[in-house]
Amino acid sequence: MGVLDYFKSIPSMTTEEVRQFLAEKHPDEYNLVDVRQPKEYEANHIPGANLIPMAELQDRLEEINPEKPTIVY
Amino acid sequence: MEGGLRAWQGMVAHGPPEAGMAFFSPAADAEEIVGLAWALEEGSKLFYQGVAEHFTGDKETRQMFNWLVSAEMNHEKHLLETYETLTGTKPDFEKLRTKFSGSLNGSVMEGGIPVKEALEWAKDKGVSESLELAMAMEVNAFDLYIKMSRAIEDEKARQIFEKLSEEEQVHLEKLADLLDKKI
Repeated sequence: MGVLDYFKSIPSMTTEEVRQFLAEKHPDEYNLVDVRQPKEYEANHIPGANLIPMAELQDRLEEINPEKPTIVY
Repeated sequence: MEGGLRAWQGMVAHGPPEAGMAFFSPAADAEEIVGLAWALEEGSKLFYQGVAEHFTGDKETRQMFNWLVSAEMNHEKHLLETYETLTGTKPDFEKLRTKFSGSLNGSVMEGGIPVKEALEWAKDKGVSESLELAMAMEVNAFDLYIKMSRAIEDEKARQIFEKLSEEEQVHLEKLADLLDKKI
C-alpha cells in the first residue's frame, strides 16, 4: 500500500471559479477565510474575507459556519 | 483557492504542491497508523534538511529549518517507542519504507507530498514561500495526529498522538512568527 492511499485531495477552485462563485452568492451564503498573516491581510485581501491566520485556526473554528461552503486562501 | 491571493492578482501561475487530507479506515491497525506517521516524519525531516541548505545566507531561517529537523527526529523517536509498545517488536525500517514509500520511488512528507517534488518546487523560492509550505505541512501533521489519536484504541498511544499534535501546533506558531518577521 502506497502512502498516497491515505490521502484524499482537497477540492480546489480556480481564481475564475471563485470570482464567479462570489459574484453569484450573497456574502451571508459562504465563509471566505484568509489564512495568511495579519500583515499580508492588511496589505491586500479579497473583499469580505475574514482573517484567521493558520496558527490560530484551531482556536477560532467557531467563526466558520459549518453549514456554509468555505473558501480558503 | 488554487494559487492563493497571488494567483487572484494574476501574479503567480502555480502554487506549491497540493497537500491532501489524511484519512483512515476504521480497520486501520496500530502498526499501520504508527508506521505511516513515522514514514511521514522521515519524509518531512528530509524536506526540512533540503530546505535548510537553500538558506545558507539567512541564519535565522536556516536555524528554523534545522530546528524542525531535530523536532521531527524527536517525533520519530516517540513513534518508534510507540510502535514497540504496541506491537512488542522492534520496527523493521526497510519494511516500513517499502510499505509506505516504495510505491512512490521516494519519500513522502506530511500532506502526502513527495519530498522530491516539494524540494524541486522550493529550490528557487524565497523565505516566505518556503515558510508557507512548511506551515501547510505542519497543519497537516497537526490534523493527522488528532485523527490518529481518535483512531487508535491504546490509551498510551493516544496520549502520545495528542502530545505530538500539540507539538505540531507549536511548530506552526513558530513558523508563523518567523513569517511575520520576513514579510
